[in-house]
Amino acid sequence: MKSTVEKIDQNKVVLEVEVPVDKFEVALNKAYKKVVAKVSIPGFRKGKAPRKILEQFYGPEVLFEDALEIIVPEAYFNAVEEHNVEPVDQPNFDMVQLELGKPLIFKATVAVKPEVVLGEYKGLEYKAEPVEITEEAVQQQLENLQKRHARMAELSADSEAQMGDTVMIDFEGFKDDVPFEGGKGADYQLELGSNTFIPGFEEALVGVKVGEERTLDLTFPEEYHVAELAGQPVKFVTVIKEIKRKEYAPIDDEFAKDVSDFDTLAELTEDIRKNLQTQAEQAKDREIRNSLIDKAVEQVEISIPEAMINERAEQMMQDYGRRLEYQGISLDNFLEMTKQSKESLMANFLPEAENSVKRDLVLQAIAKAENLDVTDEEIDKEIAELAENYRQPADVLRKLLVDNGQLSSLKDGMKADKAIQFLIDNASVQEG
Amino acid sequence: MRSPYDVLLKPVITEKSMDLTADNKYTFIINPDANKIEVKYAVEQLFKVKVLDVWTLNVKGKKKRMGKFVGRTSDRKKAIVKLRDGDKIEIFEGV
Repeated sequence: MKSTVEKIDQNKVVLEVEVPVDKFEVALNKAYKKVVAKVSIPGFRKGKAPRKILEQFYGPEVLFEDALEIIVPEAYFNAVEEHNVEPVDQPNFDMVQLELGKPLIFKATVAVKPEVVLGEYKGLEYKAEPVEITEEAVQQQLENLQKRHARMAELSADSEAQMGDTVMIDFEGFKDDVPFEGGKGADYQLELGSNTFIPGFEEALVGVKVGEERTLDLTFPEEYHVAELAGQPVKFVTVIKEIKRKEYAPIDDEFAKDVSDFDTLAELTEDIRKNLQTQAEQAKDREIRNSLIDKAVEQVEISIPEAMINERAEQMMQDYGRRLEYQGISLDNFLEMTKQSKESLMANFLPEAENSVKRDLVLQAIAKAENLDVTDEEIDKEIAELAENYRQPADVLRKLLVDNGQLSSLKDGMKADKAIQFLIDNASVQEG
Repeated sequence: MRSPYDVLLKPVITEKSMDLTADNKYTFIINPDANKIEVKYAVEQLFKVKVLDVWTLNVKGKKKRMGKFVGRTSDRKKAIVKLRDGDKIEIFEGV
């Protein structure tokens, strides 16, 4: 099998493959066996006609289609391997010579991974600013904790409701002294200031006392969803049954014991500070990585085959769909709700997909240029770590990965990580 | 004597006749009035081969009915000729 490869574009190659007569003949014979079982020729039972008769009856072309299906993919993959081409798309085949008794010659045009010409990627600069956690941030966290652990306490009979309190009320709404639908409720827990009810309602209840009956004169907002009520003046008669106020525990050792596993406030504070510190450092780390990658990518001009971008966008859309499903919406429903077509949603992902593909390509190129490789031991270690995270035996996980063909993508991911590490190691730090 | 083209009407191309070619025997539909001598001569003339033996047989047409109408297919006469070893007829031409 002879083949030649020719680059016609930065990301496209044409492979010309010649299949010798005898190989072509073998394929034709296989095709004949397939076809003969399906066609009927007068004088022969199905599947019994000799090949010559079949070809005379239908013409030799009947066998070509099936023979090509058999021989072309095989020949194509051989050629791909021989020339180390990395296709990213389905090839387009073009038959150059297709005749009985002659070698089969075809051309395959296929999009390939574009060659990446790396720019300067060593000695990139980044600023290393020390991360500092302010006292306010820690205090803020403590206060959040305090709010989360607030207790509701019933107020005594003669105290007045404030914003933030929760009141239990019976209420009934009247429009022109006639009760309207949906305007009635009993034992309703309403937090003042939560904007659950129409504007003015909660404000008007500030200052009430338990047992008080208060009549509110209000106007429904213009954009209210019930057309008959929108913009209408109404009267609400409310009876206050109970007022509860959030009670914040003082921030002290006792509080620390209640809300955390720590015994003293100092320990809790220290823990919060540590967490904030790690978070900030991680964020900083991510920022550095991203900025370095961006800088390396910026210098590279590549034309990425559309197929790669589309594939990535497709993946992103699926991920997106999966996230939506966690929220209980299927992707189809979501598209219906937002009145989008699948295509327009995918178009949104395209620029991001292009960036992400480009990033990957550049990182791969760096890994290649620097001979960064992942050893089997490293993969074993990674799998062991993953296994721990997923609480599964390592060998089970490994089998799963192999079966799903994800081992190579895991390896690629690790290679990319190494490339990023390389960028960081070789970057020059500016103390900020 | 009849012209060879009037004797041999067409080859018989069926599973059975294909099997016979393995014995170097070829099958034709012939003119029902032709005899073995005419067949031998016709085959030798047309295909430039040596005929060793000829068998002939009359085939009655089959009864076929189309609803209430009864008809029959036409009667035929077949001839099977045995050729000398090495001789061949490209019987497949112009099926």
